[in-house]
Amino acid sequence: MDDDQDQLGRLLEFVYACPFGLVEIDLSGSILMINPSAMKHLLPIAPERARGMDNLFAVLEHCAPELRNLLDDFPRSHGTVCENRRVIVDLRQSDRSARTVLSYTLVKLGPDRAIITISDITVQVEHERRLKLAEAWFGSMIDGVNDYAVVAISLDGVIEVVNDKFMRQTGQACGDVQGRPLFEVLDFETEPGMHGLNDQLRLAETDGWSLDESWLRRRNGERYWCQRLVVTRAGRDGQTIDGFTVVLRDVARTSSDPDDMRRLLTLDHLTGAANRAFFLQRFELARRLCRQNDEALSLVLVDVDHFKQVNDRFGHPAGDHVLRTLAKTCMVELRPGSLFSRLGGEEFAVLLPKTTLAEALSIAERLRVSVSDTQMITGGHAFRVTASFGCAAFDQNASGVDDLIKAADEQLYRAKRSGRNRVCGPEDTAITRELHEA
Amino acid sequence: MDTIADISFDEITLADLAKMPPEVVDGLPFGVIGLDRDGISVVYNATEARLAGLVPSRVLGVPFFDTIAQCMNNFMVAQRFEDIEELDEIVPFVLTLRMRPTPVRLRLLQSRSAPYRFVLIQR
Repeated sequence: MDDDQDQLGRLLEFVYACPFGLVEIDLSGSILMINPSAMKHLLPIAPERARGMDNLFAVLEHCAPELRNLLDDFPRSHGTVCENRRVIVDLRQSDRSARTVLSYTLVKLGPDRAIITISDITVQVEHERRLKLAEAWFGSMIDGVNDYAVVAISLDGVIEVVNDKFMRQTGQACGDVQGRPLFEVLDFETEPGMHGLNDQLRLAETDGWSLDESWLRRRNGERYWCQRLVVTRAGRDGQTIDGFTVVLRDVARTSSDPDDMRRLLTLDHLTGAANRAFFLQRFELARRLCRQNDEALSLVLVDVDHFKQVNDRFGHPAGDHVLRTLAKTCMVELRPGSLFSRLGGEEFAVLLPKTTLAEALSIAERLRVSVSDTQMITGGHAFRVTASFGCAAFDQNASGVDDLIKAADEQLYRAKRSGRNRVCGPEDTAITRELHEA
Repeated sequence: MDTIADISFDEITLADLAKMPPEVVDGLPFGVIGLDRDGISVVYNATEARLAGLVPSRVLGVPFFDTIAQCMNNFMVAQRFEDIEELDEIVPFVLTLRMRPTPVRLRLLQSRSAPYRFVLIQR
């Protein structure tokens, strides 16, 4: 008996000391078992810290809302649901270097329980980012220059000269493209939140180089994945920049379905909106561009009104339906270049580059009307939902990404407090009032 | 001496703990963990051992926040001891005793004048 006690004590010690977070949950997310390492990661981010630790879905709802759906949608009674998925914990954290990234793996153990491992990969993510940049940089310099199309362009993006690989890659002859703007010659497929070639040139001007990638079309219509490195070219004096060298790489994507991989990494599983990680990436880029080019940049936060009631009355599938429908409704309304993203739970964000506060307010109002007009039909119920909107614009002088989110958050809170189903912006500008009176 | 055991979780002081014989500390109705300045555990009372399912002899002498209570190894607990020299705070917390999430109140005690820092745990 003493032997058993000792064995048990050692086993407990082993799990207490395990440097990897382990959590066992039932299919509704209730925590059955949790070790200290998992608690260490989860307690600081739980919405109501000490009180809210009963349900893992609730703890992670604001930063990994896909968790419940992933488990729900998993068709088998046991098996690996997902591996090494990343969670960016807090977008509102001011200190960027301290932005925590967790990684989790979810395994279903049976029809009624699952185990999830959690680890902090913040440091690893930062290393990867640096490595990726370095790799792209050196890769394009050393690794068989022959495989790269190289274009020299002027400061305003007009093609001066191209190499013969350019012709092979794009299908356009050298003589036909000289003297034309590069962004016209390259056939971009636009997608939400994508930055144009011009933006990439402006980034290169300050950093010396910049890297981007997207689908392009060859002249024969065939699409290919193109990585673009833009490097500044020094003028004769060695000081000023007199143009750019653009290196285009036709990347053979080895994954059997590259679009699927891309979707997985950038889109929210449930709604198809951009996910937090992609939103943050685009937001930071947009902020830099707006600062450099002295352009407007606005953010709208969207929160579904009384969402808990939908879940409570009609069940989670109905709640999911509402989120999907709302995302679809909003994405249809938005112009290309804006990015609609799910931040967590029933909270969404619209990133609006080159958009003033006044324009953002009217876009938000359009979204508000579309949402409130949409009939939700699910599980034998038909109902409508509304949403509240908080708008804020980037302030050239001070604000960072987190400040802008906080500012929009305050406006969202005002919209909620003043009765929901409305749009609020800073200092209740004339337009907000007008919209309210209309 | 039998009144000392009645000192409550909220009012016990570092001086009380220093004067208390081990068997009395063991009899307190709340968990008592004493750490030296390097975070090595030097006191681990019977109440805490029973609830955590651990043997005191195996807990004593190890870096506590690294091997036994990683969940406290963050800004909410361990960092408080580093940041605030004169510390007496009550923190609502959730422990993982025998891997069950268990809401508790922690009391963090530290003073320049006392050799050990203490974490008291009340369920």
